[in-house]
Amino acid sequence: MPFPEESRLSVVRLRSQGFSGKRWVINKQSLRMNNSMPTRLHGRYHELAPHLVPMDYTNDPDCKLPLALIVNMPELKENPFRNRIVEAFSEDGMGNLSFNEFVDMFSVLSETAPRELKAIYAFKIYDFNVDNFLCKEDLEKTLNKLTKEELTPEEVDLVCEKTIEEADLDGDNKLSFADFENMISRAPDFLSTFHIRI
Amino acid sequence: MKEIGGRFGTSVLTYFLFLKWLLMFNVVSFLINFGFITIPLLVYDHSPNIPEGVSFRGLELLTGAGYFNYSVLYYGSYSNETLVGLVAYDMKLAYFFTISLYMVLCGIALIFSMAKSFKKNYVLADPASNSAWQLLCTWDFSVTNERAVKQRKNNLSVQLKESLSEGAQKEMLTLSEKMKHFGVHLGSWLLSTGLAFGCGAGIYFLCQYEQQSTTDESSWTPLQEAQTLLVPFIVSLMNLVVPLFYALFKKFEVYSSQRKQIYALVVRNVLFKMSILAVLCYYWMHVVAKKFSCWESMVGQALYRLVFFDFLFLLLGSFFGEFLSNLIGRKLLPSLGVPEFDVARNVFELIYAQTLSWIGIYFSPLLPAIQILKCFILFYVKKVSLAQNCQPPQRTGRAAQMQTILIALLFFPSFVGALSIVAYTAWSLTPSEQCGPFRGQNNTFSAVGVWIEDLQQIPGSQWAVWIYHHVIRSEVFYFFLALIVIIIIYIFWQVTQGRKLLIAQLRQQIINEGKDKSFLLDKLQNLQKSNQYVKQKHPNKRTNWRSKDLPKGDQSEAMAQALLAKQMFEEEERSSSGGVPVPADIPTSSALLQAMLARQRAEDGEFEVHRMPDMHLSSSSAVAQAMQARQASLTRDSDQDYSGTGFFGDTSSAVVQAMRARQTAEDSLSYSGSDVMTQVMQARQRAEESLQDSAPAGPSALIQAMLARQQAQNEYDDGY
Repeated sequence: MPFPEESRLSVVRLRSQGFSGKRWVINKQSLRMNNSMPTRLHGRYHELAPHLVPMDYTNDPDCKLPLALIVNMPELKENPFRNRIVEAFSEDGMGNLSFNEFVDMFSVLSETAPRELKAIYAFKIYDFNVDNFLCKEDLEKTLNKLTKEELTPEEVDLVCEKTIEEADLDGDNKLSFADFENMISRAPDFLSTFHIRI
Repeated sequence: MKEIGGRFGTSVLTYFLFLKWLLMFNVVSFLINFGFITIPLLVYDHSPNIPEGVSFRGLELLTGAGYFNYSVLYYGSYSNETLVGLVAYDMKLAYFFTISLYMVLCGIALIFSMAKSFKKNYVLADPASNSAWQLLCTWDFSVTNERAVKQRKNNLSVQLKESLSEGAQKEMLTLSEKMKHFGVHLGSWLLSTGLAFGCGAGIYFLCQYEQQSTTDESSWTPLQEAQTLLVPFIVSLMNLVVPLFYALFKKFEVYSSQRKQIYALVVRNVLFKMSILAVLCYYWMHVVAKKFSCWESMVGQALYRLVFFDFLFLLLGSFFGEFLSNLIGRKLLPSLGVPEFDVARNVFELIYAQTLSWIGIYFSPLLPAIQILKCFILFYVKKVSLAQNCQPPQRTGRAAQMQTILIALLFFPSFVGALSIVAYTAWSLTPSEQCGPFRGQNNTFSAVGVWIEDLQQIPGSQWAVWIYHHVIRSEVFYFFLALIVIIIIYIFWQVTQGRKLLIAQLRQQIINEGKDKSFLLDKLQNLQKSNQYVKQKHPNKRTNWRSKDLPKGDQSEAMAQALLAKQMFEEEERSSSGGVPVPADIPTSSALLQAMLARQRAEDGEFEVHRMPDMHLSSSSAVAQAMQARQASLTRDSDQDYSGTGFFGDTSSAVVQAMRARQTAEDSLSYSGSDVMTQVMQARQRAEESLQDSAPAGPSALIQAMLARQQAQNEYDDGY
């Protein structure tokens, strides 16, 4: 079945919202996606909403699936960050993904995506208020998603403060992308944990 | 694979991936050996030379002797002739070169994968106890099972609580406690090494005993054959029990970090297994080789038995260890809990099995076939056992580092040990007289020597002979090679030391920048405050753009935003350029800031430009120019033409002059983003000027300033 040129050929452009001035170009060849991936992904995308998603993409139809449908996929259903993940990859920030964005999401979360790309998207996912910094509220929300009611508010507070203290290099009491990336570079597990199989 | 990863996480997944990788090694080995050695023999000589009276009994599967002894399973049944078929196929050379080729291939594959894994996973600091790391980097996104997710959340909260309480308790231990810890460590290390050597000695005496009761006859009684099973049985039993015992040490031994604990466990296990293998090999090389006539086959049989029993015990261990403790944990003693899948222990068992297989290649070329079967069955058994019995590991293990350690372990003691034993056998030991491809020679390697002599007769292959004599057999060559390698290693080591220093310096620089920024922001705010105060006290002074009813916050915010925009901009530039940040950036930013501050002050009517308290002028040209321009314009009120700044209105030239000076200063410092900054400044300029004209229309002008900044940023966005 015919596919949009972009997903079969090489260049998908992503506008990284909020990162002022940078436009990241994902080269599918550089992600070494095998040829069956777009077909499989289209199958999965289609089965989320068979009546909405066309089988033929030659006219580049403008079809976006809402957040609620995507978040019900078995790979994402149990993930505590599912909403943020989908929002981070959507153009409008509300979680409505077109097929291109869907493919981007799974290719960044695949095994072969480079570390820098994963770090950028991890940062976006954890940045709940989309201000390009991981401030204390962002960290608190992350922690709550990860532990729910297990920790008392004082403990939550302590953990977030410790985190900022340990990772903040330039002393502005919040984590910028550089701080985050620095921390990621010291955690080699990150590449394998930030990974969803599809 | 996906469901294992989904339920148990990545560290358990590494075990199964490792198993698959080892399987691949064995498949390659089997194919090579079978293809190059066994098939020619089978083709040439269909009938194996079995003496009469020996037929296949079931016991052979267990002991490896008897019928198997005369089959192609062992070294002994390979002929030493040159098989004449389509080509003259020299079995001796084929045997020798096949095995060396396989060993070399293995070595290369291991070195490459070790280097690759090391490069990817090497880490300088230990962030494991770091709560930042725990919070942000450990969540395993590939876990999709609901129960597993819940469990992980629990684990994470437990770990966070632990680390919080640990942090609170990190006081200095008293001397007596330190002594106690030291005593406990010493005791456990002594115990573990004692155990390792004790087991080794026990095995040795057992082998001696067995040797006394066996003879060299070709027919053995069933009792004798059953006796041969004793040694492997004991060895496998020890292999099963002792690591569990080592794991118990964890209960009363306290290490300062989890990493050290894992290292200690690894070292102990490796020591234990290597000592057992060392004793066995010593026994084989020195005692068996002298006693039996076809000793290689005997060694091959012993290895076969070891492999087989190891397999049996692995299955039994999986059954008892996991299934039974699951039952106990669930029904009888719930406090004990469901067993965890101990990745480290299982991987050690795999490495041990692979070591046996590698040692056995020389003595029994088809041993990898058995290893393949073993890996296959083990995979499915472990998978089922995992699904039914175990729960995911409690500690979010550092899988990547473990993987590096394991591959390094596979290479270093295991492969190198096996290689050295085979090499020792090939080099120094006399092959047996009556069986095998190398019968009648002094040592195995002399086969190659004979071949080279034959080659000398053939004209045109003198180069091979020359290489043999001058490269392979000469010590000088190896000496120089080793020297060169050592020098290269030393050079690389120095380079890494230098890089480490550089990293530390750069980190310090980042911290300093942050401090600079906050310091200057503070200064700005103080300045704003004091100016506001001054204005209020002297209202008849020339109040240009600071009207009283504008809240101080807006103005300082505009300035601060301009500053911040510039700062963010700089940071991104730096992070995107990827290289070492040019130190000139720092004086640039501070110079510009100071220029702005200077200008601001000047407009408030302070003519003393020489008073610049606490401001470190690093790049003085920009500031000097700004100051000069301002002074010049203030003394003579002339309308200059505005070069390049098209949209200025007809306002006071002082600020325009300063602006222009600053712009040229910026250009001269070749700062690439200067156009954005100038736009910002110009926008603010416009705001100020309009404020000058109409005081109450302040807010809209500021809004304009902010809009202009936003526009500048968006322009940059789109124009990238």
